[in-house]
Amino acid sequence: MKTRLLTWRPLLRAGFLSVGALLALVSSSLAIQAQQQLSKHYPAGKNVRIELKNISGTITVESWNKDEIRLSATIESKGAHVVPKQINESLVIDVMSDNRGLGDVGDINFKLQVPVNSNVDLETRRGNISVANIRSGLVRAHVSSEGDITLANINASHVIAQNVIGDIFFDGEFSSGGTYEFKSNKGNITIRIPGDSAFRLVAASPARRIALNDFWNNNFKTQDGRKYVGDVGDGRSSVSVINFSGQITFMRR
Amino acid sequence: MNCETCQELIHDLVDGSISQRDEFTLNTHLTECLDCESVRQDLAAIVGFCRTQRGHYEAPPNEKALWLRIRNAIEADSSAGRVVQQNRRRSFIERLLGHTWELSLPQLAASAAAIVVLVSLATVVGLRRWGGYSVEPTPVRVEASNINDRVWERQQVINYWNKRVELNKARWSPDMRETFERNLKVIDQTVADSLNELNRNPHDEVSEQMLNEALNDKLALLKEFSDL
Repeated sequence: MKTRLLTWRPLLRAGFLSVGALLALVSSSLAIQAQQQLSKHYPAGKNVRIELKNISGTITVESWNKDEIRLSATIESKGAHVVPKQINESLVIDVMSDNRGLGDVGDINFKLQVPVNSNVDLETRRGNISVANIRSGLVRAHVSSEGDITLANINASHVIAQNVIGDIFFDGEFSSGGTYEFKSNKGNITIRIPGDSAFRLVAASPARRIALNDFWNNNFKTQDGRKYVGDVGDGRSSVSVINFSGQITFMRR
Repeated sequence: MNCETCQELIHDLVDGSISQRDEFTLNTHLTECLDCESVRQDLAAIVGFCRTQRGHYEAPPNEKALWLRIRNAIEADSSAGRVVQQNRRRSFIERLLGHTWELSLPQLAASAAAIVVLVSLATVVGLRRWGGYSVEPTPVRVEASNINDRVWERQQVINYWNKRVELNKARWSPDMRETFERNLKVIDQTVADSLNELNRNPHDEVSEQMLNEALNDKLALLKEFSDL
């Protein structure tokens, strides 16, 4: 009897394992089936503007060497709608309007490939936003609640990055006469710019965690380390950084 | 019907003063246009909120009569005050003009010295006040009450949006509710920290700026999540 049990045990184990694997395979394939994939191409003019208002999910925007826009999205919920509209030279995607009254539509993850000179205006209630390699008039990334914002290799005359919880990373250049606003409630803000950047800075952090590093000079006025106001170089662009409880760091590129 | 005409008529609809024909045309447009429907919902919510809050300011039974009595009382008071003031002014001027000014040399010198001292004092006080130097700091209690008043005003708007969020919250996923609560808590902490700092030091510009920013953020968070 004992011998018999010993012989059956490996067989039973193998059986359970294979049934488990089968169930996992079926459930994952069902999940993939429930997701929708969207992929569209749009012709791009000279002054492209991308306006995306998401509810939840990641947004990734990067430039490519083509005069067209490629939009791809992974839509978690089967009932969710994404109806991009091309108006003149703007591509508008408003998930909020497209799904009004439908309740929770889950995550929608967007990836956009755009010409390098595109103006980019992105919003989401929650989720990470990442923008790379853009040289234009506007880059705006607004997360209403939590999500990291990464702006890499950006040269735009107007940049806004704002969230409540999450890190903000800007790597790029401040152009002459440009305005740059970075604001977070709880997260670190890191700004990586060339050493010869010229700007007027207003930086505030009640937690006294401001590191200007190479950009510090004696002309800065400070209010007991919580706020710094001053010019770097000739102060030809305007930079405002507010962080309630995280670190503000300036780094040389 | 275009959206502009529609949004003008929405006010009449919410007030209940719309004609039957306009109401039919408007309702047809509202079923087709989500933006206008959203405007109607917002306006209805605001008007509804104001109506529910009216209980705090109940109008008296005969409102017009009361206002008339108040106005009469104010006018009577002010005209009586004017008469008294005119009488006082006349008697003072009469006394001044009726007085004979006969001063000895020491009296004249003392008067001149008194005038010099008074003018010097007035100059010093004037320079300090209007030259940017305050003789005494503004009372702390007044500053604190100003801040509290401002926060209270903002809080009323925040309460309105908070009610809208509470109405819709049930539709959100548990995950979204957690996200919202977590973020609201972070902003509330900033508001509380800034208020504490301002209670300690009412002239602290950084804390005042942080308080304003945090209240703006809270309002923005509520507005943006009220749409979900």
